[in-house]
Amino acid sequence: MQTVTRNLVRRSCRIARPPQTAGKRFNHTSAKQGRRDAGHTDRTTHFGFQTVPEEQKESLVKGVFNSVASSYDVMNDAMSLGVHRLWKDEYVSSLKPGAKGALRCIDLAGGTGDIALRILDHARENYADRETSVDVVDINAEMLKEGYKRFKQTIYHNTSQVAFIESNAQSLPVEQFPDNTYDLYTIAFGIRNCTSVPDVLKEAYRVLKPGGTFACLEFSKVNNPLFGMLYDQYSFSVIPMLGSILAGDRDSYQYLVESIRKFPTQSEFSQMIQEAGFTTGGLHEGRGGAWTDLWGGIACIHKGVKV
Amino acid sequence: MQQTQLLRLALPLVRTHGFTREALSRSVLSLPNPHPQPLPDTAVSALFGQGDDARRTLIEAWLSEGRVNMRSAPSTSLKDVLSQRLRHNEPVLGILPEAFATLATPLGFHLLDPNPALKHAASVAEEACAITQDTSIGPSWYARRASLAAIYTAAELHQFKSPETAYDFLVDVLQGSSKIDNAISDVGQFAEYVGRSWAGIIRSRGIL
Repeated sequence: MQTVTRNLVRRSCRIARPPQTAGKRFNHTSAKQGRRDAGHTDRTTHFGFQTVPEEQKESLVKGVFNSVASSYDVMNDAMSLGVHRLWKDEYVSSLKPGAKGALRCIDLAGGTGDIALRILDHARENYADRETSVDVVDINAEMLKEGYKRFKQTIYHNTSQVAFIESNAQSLPVEQFPDNTYDLYTIAFGIRNCTSVPDVLKEAYRVLKPGGTFACLEFSKVNNPLFGMLYDQYSFSVIPMLGSILAGDRDSYQYLVESIRKFPTQSEFSQMIQEAGFTTGGLHEGRGGAWTDLWGGIACIHKGVKV
Repeated sequence: MQQTQLLRLALPLVRTHGFTREALSRSVLSLPNPHPQPLPDTAVSALFGQGDDARRTLIEAWLSEGRVNMRSAPSTSLKDVLSQRLRHNEPVLGILPEAFATLATPLGFHLLDPNPALKHAASVAEEACAITQDTSIGPSWYARRASLAAIYTAAELHQFKSPETAYDFLVDVLQGSSKIDNAISDVGQFAEYVGRSWAGIIRSRGIL
């Protein structure tokens, strides 16, 4: 599957698309639409601080990431003053990929390849592991193109260690992503953009092998009220302004900031992970806990295991 | 499936695998629907903590089981309750000192962390008082627990060196401690008499 995917990617910088969704990629809720027509009421969700119909969120988020794709990494550096790199380093280090043999990994919403590259580098540099592989999956072709371009500059380009696949985290095609396939499922700063977080978690559970680990890095709730106030000021004042100056798109970065505030708390999200069937640590932070706060809760690493 | 269930399944494995990440990893082999393989290292870290943190989680779970085990002592006398707790140590006596050392290994910059040892002794004392339905109040509540924590710690340390005589040592220390309690109480009463008599003398002199 990876060889076929690699050939598809090599041919013309095209991204692998699951055939059955190629024509329906932007209409993933069509099945839901059918059920809705059968008598269910319209469901809404949040898009930042706005409330929108569920079926619109995906295309709205797609629009945001189409807009930010080419400057995504620069903007991440500007907004977080480079701190996002430390978070991602800690996230991948805590997983120790390659420590006990090759892993088959899947990185969702991983378009620009940040996490995938860190996983492969960690396995190679620390454990001389050249067998660990990562399937980078994203719903947004533009983000995947950025990732593909980044990987062309690395030693992993044109190897079986990386594949780029365009797909929806909420409904991964079973033919391309069979049950019980992966050892490690990662999603970094992406799950809050999904329309249905429980569906993402359900799919994660499905594609992981028994004993496989789910790891999510996401913005979360700051615990300290004073620090939280400063963080809010920074988020709502500085970040959209940077978006306007550096990327010419204030609204997209306004959405990014608002979407962080709408995401569940650490405890709520841990319970959602448990409800999806994962076993997690205790419902507390730190050692033996279900999550680890970074920088007082600005970002947070959640983990679960399919037992 | 809860993390605590896996910890419970890992506890019997401590006798054969020690307080190790391997014991945690093999806990899934004891499930009603056992896994074909132990948990990978990444999963052990995700559930129980990185490196030695996972071992600390297991050790603390084992200590907690020891306190629960105290309730199945043959009687509610202090001697039997504390002896029951010492019996819980027997299967793992060889590896227990290293386990306590792991707990005491500093996470920060200080040399050693005494808190886990103090917490362990205090928890055993509290559990013993609860089982024996101790009715102390006020300062004697604290004194009772501090005394029991010290007695148990001494007995446990003795058990590491000389397991055969640990129970006799415990009995001796308990008896000695009750004599000390009586002596302190007598001294306190005597001090009160002396204080009152001095107060009477001072009042009779017209000073107060």
